Amino acid sequence: MRKMLAFARRNLYEILRDPISYVFCLAFPLVMLGLMTLINKSIPPEANMTLFRIDRLAGGIAVFGQSFLMLFTVLAVSKDRAGSFLVRLYATPMAASDFTAGYLLPVLLLSAAQTLLLSAAALLVSLVSGPTLSVGGLFLMTVTLIPSGALFAGLGLLFGTLFSEKAAPALSSIIISLSAILGGIWFDPDSAGGVLLKICKALPFRYAVQSARAALVLDLGWEAWGFPLTVVIGSAVLVTLAASLVFRTRMRADLN
Amino acid sequence: MNAIETRGLTKKYGPKTAADNLFFSIPEGEFFSLLGVNGAGKTTTVRMLTGLSAPTSGDALVGGHSVVHERDAVRRIIGISPQDTAVAANLTVRENLTLIGTVCGLDRMRLEERIGEMISLFGMAECAESRAKTLSGGWQRKLSIAMALLSEPQVLFLDEPTLGLDVLARRDLWRVIEGLRGKITMVLTTHYMEEAEALSDRVAVMIAGKIAALGSPEELRQATGAKDLENAFIAIAEAAQKGGDLHA
Repeated sequence: MRKMLAFARRNLYEILRDPISYVFCLAFPLVMLGLMTLINKSIPPEANMTLFRIDRLAGGIAVFGQSFLMLFTVLAVSKDRAGSFLVRLYATPMAASDFTAGYLLPVLLLSAAQTLLLSAAALLVSLVSGPTLSVGGLFLMTVTLIPSGALFAGLGLLFGTLFSEKAAPALSSIIISLSAILGGIWFDPDSAGGVLLKICKALPFRYAVQSARAALVLDLGWEAWGFPLTVVIGSAVLVTLAASLVFRTRMRADLN
Repeated sequence: MNAIETRGLTKKYGPKTAADNLFFSIPEGEFFSLLGVNGAGKTTTVRMLTGLSAPTSGDALVGGHSVVHERDAVRRIIGISPQDTAVAANLTVRENLTLIGTVCGLDRMRLEERIGEMISLFGMAECAESRAKTLSGGWQRKLSIAMALLSEPQVLFLDEPTLGLDVLARRDLWRVIEGLRGKITMVLTTHYMEEAEALSDRVAVMIAGKIAALGSPEELRQATGAKDLENAFIAIAEAAQKGGDLHA
């Protein structure tokens, strides 16, 4: 446990001390929150377009922010694998589980902190633009998005382990774009229908956004909140297990 | 007593034999160097001795523990400073030392003591709170070796510790390494002949995965009639290519 926590602390510092992580994980989502609120203001009410209203926007932006943590997990893992730092740690009594938990834990903590900060910003925006968000709803959204944070952390560990230092960040940029589009953050997949909706339903991102939006307005029914949250929890467990297995396998291969 | 004893240590990557049936032993406290050109099998040998790579056949005992059957026990008694500067760039010197000491299992009190000792030994007091990425190449290498030494290993492996350093930084690091002589068994891999000559008690010259010559720098010079280790190395390499074997 001590070994894992020491490694987790190192990974936390590596992200927190990289100024770029603040730009992508905090500043960019905040800018998008402000920008989309302004766009929403210019949409006439008769258009009946509520996607960018703060009570729907905040959940999407929170998931959007989490997806950038995947990028920083990918960077941390793939950089470590490309250099000698991991070799040094392989030559210590650390187990594979110490490595995987040490990568995942700080991203989970950062994800929760990021959602809290974005929630605070969303609350301020809602006070200006309306409708006013409830603190309880924002807190519940933060809790609801913990599995989603684990999902993105797991994806980061998976891609960072599987792909090279050059390929992995590029791939995660594609996943970030896809998760934003197919998660229904910037458009409503239900209104699109067809194959696009089927793809959205086959991936966990839309469910993460749905559960966050439902939690925010305290709509805690099975269909609105329970089912999508269950899908996200299931996906996070599967992805995290797969990532841990792949890391363990790669570590064994590295040591052969 | 021997700190390291190899018994037919062999590593094959497909059809290529990177280390071929190695037999050698290193007494406790000795400074032993593995010399060779790129691809000679030095790093492969070190990887096997540190439990970072499983031998295809054969075995080696490090501190009496088998690298095949007791990898965890081997990892507890060795320190390694890998070829590249393996430090956490965004952590301070002290945080890097704390990390490595914690994952090596030192308790808090001993860890603090050892960090103080390492900072003092390597003269890092002024940069102890600086992030590793802000240090020069020479200081990063010092930190890397300090990290390897922190857990009080019985055997220290230094894989190309001065590669890419300027001559002053290299000489500075030599002084640090020389200061450890006799206190700990050290295995150095290097391209630099003058480095091996200046620091080593004994040198093994590896050519194409095999040990082509083994002895003290003086013995190798005498055996080849060369004026220095570099010329001795060239003579040994040429003899090995012609199929000869030269053991001092």
